[in-house]
Amino acid sequence: MKKSSFGSVISTAILCYLFWLLITGQIVQIFTGGASVQVLIAGVLVSILVGAFSGRFFIHESPFYLWNPKRFFTFLVYCICIFPIELFKANVDVAKRAFSPSLPVNPGIVKIPVDVKSEYAQSMVANSITLTPGTITMDIVEEEGQTYYYIHWIDVATEDGREAGDAIKGTMEKWIRRIWE
Amino acid sequence: MSELIFFAICFIVMALCLLIRFIIGPSVADRAVAADSIDILADMALIIFALYSGRSVFLDIAFITAILGFVGSTIVARYLEGRL
Amino acid sequence: MRIAIDVFIVFSIIFALAGVIGMLRMPDAYCRMQSSTNIATFGVLGVIIGGVLYSAFILHDGGMTVKLIGMGVFYIITAPISGHAIAKGAYHHRVEMDEKTVCDAYGEDMVEEE
Repeated sequence: MKKSSFGSVISTAILCYLFWLLITGQIVQIFTGGASVQVLIAGVLVSILVGAFSGRFFIHESPFYLWNPKRFFTFLVYCICIFPIELFKANVDVAKRAFSPSLPVNPGIVKIPVDVKSEYAQSMVANSITLTPGTITMDIVEEEGQTYYYIHWIDVATEDGREAGDAIKGTMEKWIRRIWE
Repeated sequence: MSELIFFAICFIVMALCLLIRFIIGPSVADRAVAADSIDILADMALIIFALYSGRSVFLDIAFITAILGFVGSTIVARYLEGRL
Repeated sequence: MRIAIDVFIVFSIIFALAGVIGMLRMPDAYCRMQSSTNIATFGVLGVIIGGVLYSAFILHDGGMTVKLIGMGVFYIITAPISGHAIAKGAYHHRVEMDEKTVCDAYGEDMVEEE
């Protein structure tokens, strides 16, 4: 078991504190005045406790990597402009398949190579792939320095790894590499 | 706005349709996925009802239900994998 | 404004209906998971956007708006995690796939390891 570093504890505690403010409804009262001091202090204590126990499960690499205007801006652009377009295309595609009378599915599991290195980027690519309807990441393996994903795909167009990877990942991988590298 | 309550009823009817899959589903994975989706649809109905009545208590309930649904389906998945 | 809110919610009802019908009609468990992702993404996002507009411009309730945005982020973060976990768990539990399945690279590699 890894030892929890100071940065991971602090970043997890900040996330927990934001969540506390959201749940207790204090996040608006801070700006309008009338926030209860007792609730705020109790939140600090609880979130530091939670961070000390569970920080090592969440953060393995540099905790404040996104604390950089350029990277954060790229991240926001990806989340607001690039990803919803892919999401919309895939959603319409799967909805059409469900409504059409002949049910044109062609399922299968393919193995695609992925060219990102850091842990955050890998999990972000995997989550983006799973969040688009029509593809689900089933496992991640590493063979000879190259990372492979096993993807369940509802409409297998090609069984070749490279072409399937280009069809599944689309523009997402390029943007994620721009964020994390 | 009375059409909001109509939308909430639509979501509840869809959740009831998913109960069919929950009952006949041939494998455990089908039932887990159906339960997860029923959870999400019921949350949507709760959110719309919170908007209709203007009271944010229902939003808290929807939030807790979402958290419990996520934890439940993850634990079922871990059990299926044989690591629990 | 009310018409825009109604349009968003109806949009999300259409996608949720597609997901429900897909879950009832698809041939095997893995394809049903794909349809359930349909519910968990656009079925949720339409209601969240409509709700944010409604609580901000009609109810004038800031706490509700922030809470709805937080719920949207929570759904988007947790949906792929549980989907991936159930898919992997089902495969290790040997839930069988439909006969229409074209290829199964994961199963072949698992057999080689054993």
